[in-house]
Amino acid sequence: MATEAPPRPARTPSGRTSRVPHRDFVEKVAGTLPYADDWGFPGMLHGVVVRAHVPCALITSIDTEAARQVQGVRAVLTAADIPHNVIAEEASGLGIDQIVQPVLAIDRVRYDGEPIAIIAAETPGAAVDAAALVEIEYEDADGVFDTEAALRDGAPAVHPGGNRYVTWRSAIGDVDEAMARADHVVDETYQTPRVDHAYLEPEAGVGWVDSDGVITLRVSTQVIEHARQLADILQLPHSRVRVIAAYMGGGFGGKEDMTVEPYLAALVWKTRRPVRMVWERQESLLARQKRHPFHMHYRTGVTDDGTIVAQDITIVGDAGAYPLLSSRVLFAGAVNSTGPYRCADARVESVAVFTNTVPTSAMRGFGAMQVVFGYESQMDRIAEQVGLDPATVRERNFVERGDLRVTGEEIDTEPATRECMRRVLEELGEPGQPTNGGRVGRGFACSMQPYGRSVFFADRASCWIGLEQDGTMVIRAGVTDLGAGQAASLADIAGEILGVTVDRTSVHIGDSALNPLTGGTFATRQLYMSGNATVKVARGLRSKLAPVASDLLGCESSELEFAENRVAVASDPSRSISMAELSRTAEARSVMPYCHDTFDAETGEFDPSTGRGRSYPDYTHGAHAVEVEVDEQTGAVRILRYIACHDVGRAIDMQRVVGQIQGAVAQGVGYAMSEEVEINEGVMSSTLFANYLMPTSVDLPDIDAIALELYLGKGPFGARGIGEPPIGPCAPALASAIHDAVGVRMRRLPMTPERVLTALRQPDGPRRPGS
Amino acid sequence: MYAAAFDYVRASSWSEAVDLLGELGEDAHVIAGGQSLVPMMMLRLAAPTALIDLAGADQRTIELRDGQLVLSALVRHADIEHSEVVAEHVPMLTEAVRQIGNVRVRQRGTIGGSLAHGEATAELPSVALAHKATVQVLGPDGERTIPAGELAVTHLTTSLAPAEVITAVQVPVLAAGQGSCFVELARRAGDFAMVDVAALLTCAGDGRLTGARLVVGAVGHRPADMSEAAQPLLGQPLDDAPVDEVARTVADEVQVGPSTHAGVAYRRQMVAVLVGRALRRAGAAALCARHPERA
Amino acid sequence: MTAVSKQPISLQVNGRATDAWVSPNLSLLELLRVEAGAPEVKLGCGEGVCGTCTVLLDGEPVNACLMFAVQANGCEVTTVRGLAPDGELHLLQQAFLDHAGAQCGFCTPGMILTSKWYLDRHPDADREELRRALAGNLCRCTGYTKILDAVEAYRDVCRREHDGD
Repeated sequence: MATEAPPRPARTPSGRTSRVPHRDFVEKVAGTLPYADDWGFPGMLHGVVVRAHVPCALITSIDTEAARQVQGVRAVLTAADIPHNVIAEEASGLGIDQIVQPVLAIDRVRYDGEPIAIIAAETPGAAVDAAALVEIEYEDADGVFDTEAALRDGAPAVHPGGNRYVTWRSAIGDVDEAMARADHVVDETYQTPRVDHAYLEPEAGVGWVDSDGVITLRVSTQVIEHARQLADILQLPHSRVRVIAAYMGGGFGGKEDMTVEPYLAALVWKTRRPVRMVWERQESLLARQKRHPFHMHYRTGVTDDGTIVAQDITIVGDAGAYPLLSSRVLFAGAVNSTGPYRCADARVESVAVFTNTVPTSAMRGFGAMQVVFGYESQMDRIAEQVGLDPATVRERNFVERGDLRVTGEEIDTEPATRECMRRVLEELGEPGQPTNGGRVGRGFACSMQPYGRSVFFADRASCWIGLEQDGTMVIRAGVTDLGAGQAASLADIAGEILGVTVDRTSVHIGDSALNPLTGGTFATRQLYMSGNATVKVARGLRSKLAPVASDLLGCESSELEFAENRVAVASDPSRSISMAELSRTAEARSVMPYCHDTFDAETGEFDPSTGRGRSYPDYTHGAHAVEVEVDEQTGAVRILRYIACHDVGRAIDMQRVVGQIQGAVAQGVGYAMSEEVEINEGVMSSTLFANYLMPTSVDLPDIDAIALELYLGKGPFGARGIGEPPIGPCAPALASAIHDAVGVRMRRLPMTPERVLTALRQPDGPRRPGS
Repeated sequence: MYAAAFDYVRASSWSEAVDLLGELGEDAHVIAGGQSLVPMMMLRLAAPTALIDLAGADQRTIELRDGQLVLSALVRHADIEHSEVVAEHVPMLTEAVRQIGNVRVRQRGTIGGSLAHGEATAELPSVALAHKATVQVLGPDGERTIPAGELAVTHLTTSLAPAEVITAVQVPVLAAGQGSCFVELARRAGDFAMVDVAALLTCAGDGRLTGARLVVGAVGHRPADMSEAAQPLLGQPLDDAPVDEVARTVADEVQVGPSTHAGVAYRRQMVAVLVGRALRRAGAAALCARHPERA
Repeated sequence: MTAVSKQPISLQVNGRATDAWVSPNLSLLELLRVEAGAPEVKLGCGEGVCGTCTVLLDGEPVNACLMFAVQANGCEVTTVRGLAPDGELHLLQQAFLDHAGAQCGFCTPGMILTSKWYLDRHPDADREELRRALAGNLCRCTGYTKILDAVEAYRDVCRREHDGD
């Protein structure tokens, strides 16, 4: 397979900016797109979740009597009312025991905000009034609130079986022997924060019982396949629950686990009436799953010329009170912990630890982004130790195709880390001037982050494409759209193969009863999976219809060209038929003009006992460079310039690719500089959105995003996933620039003004570059 | 986001508002812009049984009268932001309102509301104290005037009696030779302040400082008048004045309570930084005011 | 708990008269979304900081989530749909489309209204001024760069039209 991207044929849509936009974007600017809460029924009830307000306790009684008496209340449910009171998450897929997370707490509370009861009432006000009247009595119980405390001998156990939930270990070569041989060992620990997805659209949905008695939810969700879990919770056949995904106002992994779904479904099931549930922002900040804080200990051995000879890495991730996707996040951290650097002798241990805090789970970057701060910070320290510049040290160690990862697997596509690094450094150009009396510094960082789900998951996606009698095209795929053009991409891809234009294409997304399932939108897998499924199905339909077209046109199938809603003879375009004619003729001949198929991702085996095997299908490489100005009196850091470069293989829509890079960078900057969910003794310091410091427009410069199309990946037409990878390099690039400006190396995120100032005022003081 | 139920009436004058407050009882509350009150009601931290809407009780006037800027209590932050009269005569107000919230909050929030609410991190109470402003108050017993220094009691508590309303704010304007500066440290633009400093310096013809007003806000439960600590500045030109020493003294003496976004030690350090910056900028402005050709 | 009597209110929403009987504790946001058929006004935070509930009240941007409907009695409310009364996109909306200024779209109505309001008053605002004008409208998807591209493009289109007069 060629690894260089081929020159682009003239008619592909990639890179064009003046083109017919996909319908959902038109509706977004017009304000007419209906999100999950923009939909209702007459007589709809309003649901609320009643939550614990203690972080760790036994529940001795729950009294719902006063709540039931509130005028307008139609249902009050507690644990005993839920047929199968279990939120079952797929574990790692490797047979790790499941810890039971209840839909509604039974006799104990494990985190502040844990759901205890649900209420449906005629008005939102009545529901809120009733919620305040639910009386819950608690008995104190000892808890653990950070991983250090949780790992101590005799620590109170969050779950039977102890606080160590799962440990991943991988090793290659002989790391102890190699470390002993090293000329220098750089030994550091790094700490990353618990952060929130902070999407603008709250968790929301509406549920109802349809005319066939099927419990139907229309919700803001990344995963419609949760319909099966909902059916299990209600002890209904899987075919009796349907989940429809509305276009989301952001997801980023925060809507990958169920949010409102089980509570909404239970209230619909109980009342048999339509029910609406929207979470309050403060409720979401308190109780909805967050990103895992990672404590990372890196020991990297290098020779005098900066070549890495040994890596010994330990990661401890705070899983919060329940597992959710923790085992997978810590797995991703483990297998990506060495970054885009060759190392024949490496060992990593990655453990998920329970604490009595809000559960942590998926968030953009999913374990693979936290470790970028670890491995890139190490590279800068190594450079300083051996007296080489940071770019040279990296060049010396970048992985090549064919190199082995710590899991023993081979890298089988071409990495472009070197090219991306050189490009951003080139773009950075000459240093800028201070704008506000501070010190200017520049830095960069590289990354290698996976796209696609772990290959031992046997991932698959299906798709259905058909032509209407008028030649318009319908695509049905259970994708969920979180605003990155998931739906639009399918239209673009199918259009490129079948020649039907976007304005004559309808994409029906996210319906577990009516659309072929594609798996959820997460793990930067959607373009890879449903995109490839769309390619497969579109090609299948084209092959199916080709004999009909060639018969009508009197030519060979190989001479057919599908473009602009017509099929023509390539050598004589005046001989053509419309897609309408093709569709009708095919149907008349019982060649039905639709096709349905499944794309199976490459699979592989992974043995958790040895830590060896295949992890992810492929990776996206990149580098970011930044220029900052540090106010030495306040510690505040202003970002003057930001350049991000990634090799995307092939851009289906360059404008959207650039948008994804810019958006991921914005989140990465927030992660690096200001965002943190602070929890003390299990209690969050603030649940106000005003106090959650995500970046505003003035906290960011223009983000110069460069998407290269260098080496093909495994997505449709050779694309590589871009949703997650750009979030990783931000923190280390900024840390590197801060060091260049004021000589301090930050080990903990976020790099708040207070932390920067504290570092500046350490007794051993900052070391100026060159001193 | 559902406030508890309440009765709603509109007052068409200040006296009607006071009468209504008397009638509707101690759990009734006036509302102007509502940008401080309504979030508390929506979060169920406040549950007034009645709201008296002041929107039509007065005009939103800003007038210059006898060396004072007189603002109706209903003047919105946005009105102040865009007022040339304010920019010329009490530029500290212009600087301060720019820090308040976001464009939507500034469209509704009022100066009277801000001063009456008494939020510890609010900007306008610091400005009022620095300028020795006074508030006009109307109550069941008639009108009275409260100096800014006697208005704020503690976080979310003022010396207003239950049925009293602020009707106007009077701010002595900058005289010739006076310069001012308001600075704030917040994590993001519009966020709750971590530290704010309001400085007003008076400069004689020969460049010597003859007066200093210095207020540090957002660190304690109400703005702190630290003008005493600034006295060592007087009697010399700003360039010769012990600005950094004064800044350190102020930082050491001022009461600093806990905050969500930064520790006490850091905020105390920032008091010193901001006091230094505010004094220098106010001094430069004062000198310019005295000697406009040096601007 | 006393039952509080409802009050009649009357306001204009995008030029349409809207009359309703409301409890005083009904927010303007809820009135617009439920009674006035304007679900394009979003609930994002309920604290007035995110900007998704931005509407123009008598021409000025306010937080619909921090007002009670009764306070808006007699006022004119403009939402993003009010910019395209005949269904044809306003030039600013078209600019957002052309420059991919919307990804998930949830912040978009607020961004568009605030940009338009600001540019109507400051037609020569430069990029940094526009960036500051939008500081109160949060976006989690775009990183703001393309939003500013769109707003600048609209500003330039307006200038060309103006100069062409």
